[in-house]
Amino acid sequence: MGLSEHIVMRELDIPDIADFEVYRRHGGWEAYRYALTEKTPADIVQMVKESGLRGRGGAGFPTGIKWGFLPKGVYPRYLLCNCDESEPGTFNNHQIIDKNPHQLIEGVALSAYAIEAEVAYIYMRGEFAAAARTLERAIAQAYAAGFLGKKILGTDFNLDIYVHRGAGAYICGEETALMESLEGKIGQPRLKPPFPAVAGLYGKPTIINNVETLANVPRIVEKGVAWYRSHGTEKSPGTKCFSLSGHVNRPGNYELPFGVPLRELIESPEYGGGMKGGRPVKIIIPGGASAPWLTADHLDVPLDYESVAAAGSMLGSGAVIVLNDTVSAPHVAYKMDEFFKHESCGKCTPCREGTHWLVRVLHRMVEEGHATAADIDTLHSIYRQMAGNCFCLLGESAVMPIKSALALFPHEFEALVKQSSRHNGHHIPLMVHR
Amino acid sequence: MTLLETHQAEIEAIVARYASKRSAVLPLLYLAQDTYGYLTDEAIREVATILELPATDVYEVVGFYTLFYNRPVGTWVLQVCDDVPCCYCGAEELIAALKQTLGIHEDETTPDGMFTLQRVKCLAACDRAPVLQANLDYVYDVTPDRVQTLLNDLRSRAAEARKRGVSGRFAEDYEFTRDGRLVQIERFSPYRPREFVIEPPAQPATPPPSVAPEADAGLDRPDTRKASPL
Ligand SMILES: Cc1cc2nc3c(=O)[nH]c(=O)nc-3n(C[C@H](O)[C@H](O)[C@H](O)COP(=O)(O)O)c2cc1C
Ligand code: SF4
Ligand code: FES
Repeated sequence: MGLSEHIVMRELDIPDIADFEVYRRHGGWEAYRYALTEKTPADIVQMVKESGLRGRGGAGFPTGIKWGFLPKGVYPRYLLCNCDESEPGTFNNHQIIDKNPHQLIEGVALSAYAIEAEVAYIYMRGEFAAAARTLERAIAQAYAAGFLGKKILGTDFNLDIYVHRGAGAYICGEETALMESLEGKIGQPRLKPPFPAVAGLYGKPTIINNVETLANVPRIVEKGVAWYRSHGTEKSPGTKCFSLSGHVNRPGNYELPFGVPLRELIESPEYGGGMKGGRPVKIIIPGGASAPWLTADHLDVPLDYESVAAAGSMLGSGAVIVLNDTVSAPHVAYKMDEFFKHESCGKCTPCREGTHWLVRVLHRMVEEGHATAADIDTLHSIYRQMAGNCFCLLGESAVMPIKSALALFPHEFEALVKQSSRHNGHHIPLMVHR
Repeated sequence: MTLLETHQAEIEAIVARYASKRSAVLPLLYLAQDTYGYLTDEAIREVATILELPATDVYEVVGFYTLFYNRPVGTWVLQVCDDVPCCYCGAEELIAALKQTLGIHEDETTPDGMFTLQRVKCLAACDRAPVLQANLDYVYDVTPDRVQTLLNDLRSRAAEARKRGVSGRFAEDYEFTRDGRLVQIERFSPYRPREFVIEPPAQPATPPPSVAPEADAGLDRPDTRKASPL
């Protein structure tokens, strides 16, 4: 099911596409020129709507429809490109910027034209310091070639693109927290509604999209809706850059049409190359840390939004983490929830306290070897109190690892209780706490 | 010399990018951190003055974001990813090797002020585990046997590192070659496909244990080690 031509990871077809001249020689920035000189912004929005492009940042929301939510006649508007990429298992934005940066910048510029924004910010996680320089250089080249700035290509369109680095906070990937952060505040999410399209950055209408989403746009405009829709499935058109990691022989990013079976991604010699040392698959987390877990029973699930949801999980950011039988499920839940505890912004109680207590109990059970039967009930009770009560999706996501582990591998928790030697069901002091 | 005196043009250019001055707080804190080595009270107040903010607002920001240091750190801050999946692909072994070689624990600095060791969450390079950042320079495929090479290299680059600071404004990426040399990745080089070694299936396949209690500490799990990309 391989691709004859990549849509986003084009460095696989054109090895030095990160070079501005090479990108230009292969039609780079022509879609933008065509849009500015021959199409109206509304035409581009319509095209993206018809393409069925869905947001790659996690929710899979149709991009053209989101763009259509902008209130008419309200300016200025802002475009934000979300490159906070901090969820465990996701690393495709990082590669897109390193290997095909000009397509992203063209995508940002084209999308800004479509939504009539004259300023766009690319918000990058602080750790992407080197990648930020790659983008700054690509932006400088686009200015020098006359694609950014004032009165671009003789039209009335003005556009400035800036790179803005965060400083180490996963929550700033949440769209409203990102706006808070960009406004110079701590990254705590805002209440929705109002949605960003109505009142976003500086209270102005704002569109926010993921790096991979925006990198698709130039190709849709260049090659047309029919070509784009010839990839993937009816409801999930196009391709996805799957970030495959864990106990596979060939971890990495693989761009494949939506609908490719999980098994093919993991086992094909061109992609995952099978499990390391031939060990069996135990846990598959198909959409980044927030996705409910799947197991070896789900290897035939096609990787598109609908099918993964039907299997009880979510495609999310398309980060597929595959773990083998050497891992213990309670330990994976502990590590995952430690991530969420670390990244909880502290704004709301269910998440701040819930993640804290999940980690404390799990740490004692898994790391200190003290587990009682009551702990299992406590874990159930903590995540139930969190579910549905958190202010943003980070807290809701933190429910998934522990809920999945308890549902799929209850015997492993029971085994921890049995193994726990140094107690008799009595109160056990919390020895260590990180 | 104040921040404004030494970096006036840069500060003005940064502030001009935003509709509100306050938006420049993260970039200016990075600048201050590179200038002073870490965020001293004085540095924080300077940033507050430049942006016409109450100092408490800037303190709050410094406290919220993990890449800001309000106390002295080593010339190199080593941030090792210990998240899922890295922790099952050699990260714990790497951290153990670093602790042993450096003689420090997490969140400590070596007595010579050269290295600070930190555990961090996913660095968005899970396919290159074990992975760390040295002052936001990525270093990929750092298996424990490569720790000595890495530390030697960092020591010899220390003078340069002091110039570049801990905010990554001039960060580079590094990787190990198959024969164990540490090389800088050309930022703007053509794409080079990675090579993989497919490990043969274990013979005979052992049945999965119901619980693998040592999974986190598993010190000899060669099957989780990944070959170098070159
Ligand atoms: C806690 C949290 C973290 C998120 N992190 C990211 C991220 O790093 N990158 C991203 O594109 N979207 C992230 N999102 C999703 C964004 O809120 C938003 O939906 C997305 O950027 C929209 O872009 P899209 O429509 O192109 O997917 C995150 C959401 C939550 C709740
Ligand atoms: S759910 Fe967690 S991250 Fe989201 S607002 Fe509440 S405390 Fe913050
Ligand atoms: S988990 Fe270590 S880089 Fe992602």
